[in-house]
Amino acid sequence: MPSFTAQLPNLQAMGPLVEMRIWVGTPVEEALKKADRKIPEPVAARGMIDTGATGSVIQPAIAQQLGLQPVGVVSISTPSSENVPCLQYPVRLIFPNNVIVEALTIEAPLRGQHIQCLVGRDVLAHGVLVYTGYINQFTLSF
Amino acid sequence: MTEGMLSEELKTYEANAESLLGAHEAKFVLIYGDRVLGAFDSQMDAITSGYRQLGNVPFLVKQVVKVEVPLSFVSNLLGV
Repeated sequence: MPSFTAQLPNLQAMGPLVEMRIWVGTPVEEALKKADRKIPEPVAARGMIDTGATGSVIQPAIAQQLGLQPVGVVSISTPSSENVPCLQYPVRLIFPNNVIVEALTIEAPLRGQHIQCLVGRDVLAHGVLVYTGYINQFTLSF
Repeated sequence: MTEGMLSEELKTYEANAESLLGAHEAKFVLIYGDRVLGAFDSQMDAITSGYRQLGNVPFLVKQVVKVEVPLSFVSNLLGV
């Protein structure tokens, strides 16, 4: 079962952060190959596993860096806003140990500069998240 | 947040919503400009078909539903 484990100095204070990469989704890669276009390199990002996020989210700059074009619009509601339309992009989320998950991510700004991706329940729906707080460690398996 | 992207495709969906609901409720339609290119059982099938037919350009894949329900985020990390 593909999995990775992350150990942080203070899991409670920092949250379940993971150093990951974000890449174009498989159908995008196929389309670029067919058009004989250059396939962009994966973009390094710091992600946070977020059980409060219905779907996974990427910062707008990541979609731009990967040259992605939107394939959908979804309305989202947060504690401070309602029915905000956001664009969707197909990407591959590449976790440590080369664990790869295809996801249809939502593009939205994230508060603070230190997180570029929220890994939401759309991804967790396919896996097992083990949060072992007393040793500041979590494991995500698929 | 969308800055006008896919606005033509969304207008096409709205203009055809009644007939799409009648013929393809719960399916995922692929729309490019003012054309509805197909209806699919899964979202990923529609997206893959979009890339195969159109390449890496903006297009709209949307589930045909009577009532739109926004995705809910409890997270306070979103800046929207």
